[in-house]
Amino acid sequence: MQVFNAFLKVMRSKMSSGIIYIVIFLVIAVIMTNSAKTDATKVFEGRKIGVVVYDDDNTEESRALKEYIGKRQDLKELERDADLIKDTIYMNWNAEIHYVMAIKKGYAEKLRSGDYNDLFENYHMHDSYENVMMEQLLTEYLNTVGAYQAGGIALSEAISRTESVLSAETEVTIRNYDENAADHDMSPLFDDYFRYLPYILLSVLIEVLCPVLLTMNKKIIRYRTDCSSVRPTSYMLQIILGSALFVVCIWLIFMIAGTAFFGMFRGRAWLTLLNSFLFAMVAVSLSVLIASFHPGELVVNLLAQILGLGMSFLCGIFVPMEWLSESVAAAAKFLPAYWYIQANDLICGKQAFDGHRILVCMLIEAAFAVVFTLASMVIRRYEAGKAAAA
Amino acid sequence: MGETVVKLDNLVKRYGELIALDHFSLEIKEGEIFGLLGPNGSGKTTTINCLLSLLAYDKGSIEIFGKKMTPTSYDIKQQIGIIMQDVAVFDELTVYENIDYFCGLYIHDKAKRKQYVEEAIAFVGLEDFVRFRPKKLSGGLLRRLNIACGIAHKPRLIILDEPTVAVDPQSRNKILEGIAELNRNGATVIYTSHYMEEVEQLCTQIAIMDKGRKIAEGTKDELKRMIKNTETVTIEILELPDAVRSEIENLPHVYETAYIDDKFTVRCSGGRHNLIRILDVLRQNDLSFGRVYTELPTLNDVFLEITGKSLRDKED
Repeated sequence: MQVFNAFLKVMRSKMSSGIIYIVIFLVIAVIMTNSAKTDATKVFEGRKIGVVVYDDDNTEESRALKEYIGKRQDLKELERDADLIKDTIYMNWNAEIHYVMAIKKGYAEKLRSGDYNDLFENYHMHDSYENVMMEQLLTEYLNTVGAYQAGGIALSEAISRTESVLSAETEVTIRNYDENAADHDMSPLFDDYFRYLPYILLSVLIEVLCPVLLTMNKKIIRYRTDCSSVRPTSYMLQIILGSALFVVCIWLIFMIAGTAFFGMFRGRAWLTLLNSFLFAMVAVSLSVLIASFHPGELVVNLLAQILGLGMSFLCGIFVPMEWLSESVAAAAKFLPAYWYIQANDLICGKQAFDGHRILVCMLIEAAFAVVFTLASMVIRRYEAGKAAAA
Repeated sequence: MGETVVKLDNLVKRYGELIALDHFSLEIKEGEIFGLLGPNGSGKTTTINCLLSLLAYDKGSIEIFGKKMTPTSYDIKQQIGIIMQDVAVFDELTVYENIDYFCGLYIHDKAKRKQYVEEAIAFVGLEDFVRFRPKKLSGGLLRRLNIACGIAHKPRLIILDEPTVAVDPQSRNKILEGIAELNRNGATVIYTSHYMEEVEQLCTQIAIMDKGRKIAEGTKDELKRMIKNTETVTIEILELPDAVRSEIENLPHVYETAYIDDKFTVRCSGGRHNLIRILDVLRQNDLSFGRVYTELPTLNDVFLEITGKSLRDKED
């Protein structure tokens, strides 16, 4: 197993860039997971704003409005001084007061006559959500009163009914995803994790495996090894074993990390496991194919970026396929990552689950791996023939 | 000398129209340091590649240790060490790991391998560099590492294919000393080079190649005896009248003269006191001369006389 040991030692020396990729990917996954763990029930909470209401009309109707506002917001007291009001609102002197309004004299009369214009004088910050909230509240109140009045109901009764109707509350329950997890095999984050996996698999495998294969197949090293008593088949098998071990290790790292972040695989999630394994096979066969062209390390680096980013942008990894033009989508079908993403979407529920389509996608991925492997074998055979003739 | 270790019989290798080996035959006995001398492109490396079954040949046969050599003769390959012109090591592995790797291609027993690797390190004097990676080594040390990788498994037959190309003189001498020591330790050595001085210094038996053919074979003395020239006298002289030159040409044993750039060269075949006789003629004619030196024939002279061209003509 001398060749296998050397393979691993060479691999160790080339791992630095791969480790960087893996760490960055996992750190991003950890950050995403932690941010998603925030309790969704606490994201939304009822809140009251501080409102000052001056009642210049001082009628039963205006008092009813003030009382209505008071039940929904925090009524505050503030000396009626124009400068003080402006400073409070605009200079934020009093952080508890967000909205100041005066119910103008003649409010009740105007309501009775069906005139809903120019009823209030108010001070507020433009475009603040407190302003929007109060505008909504007042508009809703006046519209409801107006609706009752239009139905022939007297103003006092309309105000009473409005108060009653608008007091009714609809109960809203916000649930965290996990509370309902028993019905699902995977979370949206799980989908994201597996969506980005092809990019990282392509990058790591091409960046690390290619240079190792290039070193092991360096002409002078192969020549020297061929002079020895090691059989060429044994040499190849040891390299294949080393490559397989590396690919499985990298794949396992991501699967174990996936389990740590999103829990044990269950149900359909096992299909993502199979799908990602197939794509790892595609990535390794592509790495072997690239290595058979004997490119320089700089070219390998460049190819890793082009293939990783290219497939990610064209095949729906970074940009959803819906956003891409039809011609791009048609071209993407010639890339293995497209079929991986299609299968992933079908498994994770982005598209309606269809076992037959998933199988087709996976078979196409496997076909890519076979084609890449056959292509590298043809190149090797051609090179061997050339070397024998030389 | 002992039994035949390597036997090449009537080997023919063609690259299309080009004949790289033209009915090439060779027999190397155990314990020899066999020099394969020839200019670049003469077929030395092709011979080695055929010998190692890395290259298929069109005709002929190869036997090593009395057995036919084929690509699957792993028992024979087990006993061969190869040191190439280009350093064949992993840049990613340390000196120790490199020697261990190449030794491990032959020796599977760990304890034995460890001992062999340490002995090889000591042999090439790399004890202080075992943890270094090849890129940190100087050119000379790198060559030593290359040799250690080739001999660590203690092969019976060591093939060195131009191991001193682009090596500084000090390292070259160390390498040559090392090869001689390997031979003293019992290894048969095949040494290819286009440096005639090295081959003369090192090899007990020499074959001279040109255009894929063996043009001469023997010990260095035997080779030198094959040619007419036994001594070349060179005299720096400003003026040489034709009459004096003719007088010298008529001296016994003188068979060729040349007068170029104030240097008068006289080639002699056999005889003693050639220099004294030539100088006597010059003195009798009252001709003053500068430096005088005499050279015994070299392998280059052998090559020159047989092929009509210099070995060094084709050097890189």
